[in-house]
Amino acid sequence: MEYSLAVQDDAVHVRVDGRVDEATWEAFGAALGEAVERAGKSGHPTVVIDLSELDYMSSRGLRVLTVAKRQADEASITIVLASPNEVMSEILAISRYDKLFTITGSTGARQ
Amino acid sequence: MLVRFWGTRGSLPVAPTATTIRRKLARALVSAGSLQFDNVAEAELFVEKELSFAGGATYGGATSCVEMEIANGSYFVCDMGSGLRSFGLDSLRRNAAGHSKTYNFFQSHLHWDHIMGFPFFAPAFDPSATIRIHSGHPDAEEALRRQQEEISFPVPFNWLRADIQFVQLTPGETYEVDGVAVETILQNHSHDSYGYRFTDVDGKTAIYSTDSEHKLENMAEEAAFIEFFRNADLVICDTMYSLADSVSMKEDWGHSSNLVAVDLCHAAEAKCLALFHHEPTYEDEDIQRMHEESIRYEELTRNGPALDVICSYDGLEVRI
Repeated sequence: MEYSLAVQDDAVHVRVDGRVDEATWEAFGAALGEAVERAGKSGHPTVVIDLSELDYMSSRGLRVLTVAKRQADEASITIVLASPNEVMSEILAISRYDKLFTITGSTGARQ
Repeated sequence: MLVRFWGTRGSLPVAPTATTIRRKLARALVSAGSLQFDNVAEAELFVEKELSFAGGATYGGATSCVEMEIANGSYFVCDMGSGLRSFGLDSLRRNAAGHSKTYNFFQSHLHWDHIMGFPFFAPAFDPSATIRIHSGHPDAEEALRRQQEEISFPVPFNWLRADIQFVQLTPGETYEVDGVAVETILQNHSHDSYGYRFTDVDGKTAIYSTDSEHKLENMAEEAAFIEFFRNADLVICDTMYSLADSVSMKEDWGHSSNLVAVDLCHAAEAKCLALFHHEPTYEDEDIQRMHEESIRYEELTRNGPALDVICSYDGLEVRI
């Protein structure tokens, strides 16, 4: 799993490539924690997680998202899941995480 | 080893209503269209081949009770939910044919839905039966005696005539019970629960892990469960809630989700996962949907050998 983090005008953007599974969930969690922290420090109310390049996310990754959401909620920051590919759209539906998170069709990030 | 499911529901026994049955029949008749059947056998074949499981059958409503038929003489049974009554009656038939009257029970825990069948367990009245109740809990006997006190049940525990023994097991130890290697693991549930690993003389391994919550804060501890499930031929797992429910409104309710069960089994390279401890408010269509989604999730996240995902129902038999 690779990730990049960018602070832009509208939000803190996190882009994740590869798989979030038993081997990479802790690194993913660290990335989310960093994003929430940076959003708090820079005064951004939103963290956008770009799911377009993910192969898949296992329940570990989904649960790490929940941990990050709780941290974000305490800081009045919203986590948005953006551009899920077909696999991620299915996983979000199967897990019912589409009921827990705001999901958008685009990241809104500057290229 | 033959695994036979006598009760697969969690929390509370349930039963279909007249409305539910009528609706199934009506839909089946519509599916049959203009087909004519010469006899019941032909109609049953149509139901089996052409209708979905939810449409032509039912997952049942008895609470947790799973038998492991091991070719060693004695009975092995996990939990004493309401499904125990049917098992008990069936065992009387087998005893009459010469089966050993030794019953080895393995309790996941002592909540009502997992012990409610024992007052109706007919062999407990047989003075020639031996009943060994294995549990990680030191208070298993107290729990069973209490539910048969007069305020709750008209037949006191002391009236039972079988030789009833209570055996406390310790996680981390391997026990030999009538030729079967048995291990137990502590699980996260109110008043604790315990999972079991059974390995027979042929090396076939079945896991029984129900009423076990895998919490967000303790994901690193799941490594212990992956090792406990390692290379198992069958893993019977609590899959009561969606992942979202398990981390939100049902958090701390002591149960797990289908996605966590699939992931643990993938990591353990287990061969087959049986979804278990179905939510009592789920209709058959809900359970079937959960099963289909679990199969799809396994396909999407598979990164090694395929895991066979089946859905337990009252009456299911699985040979491993």
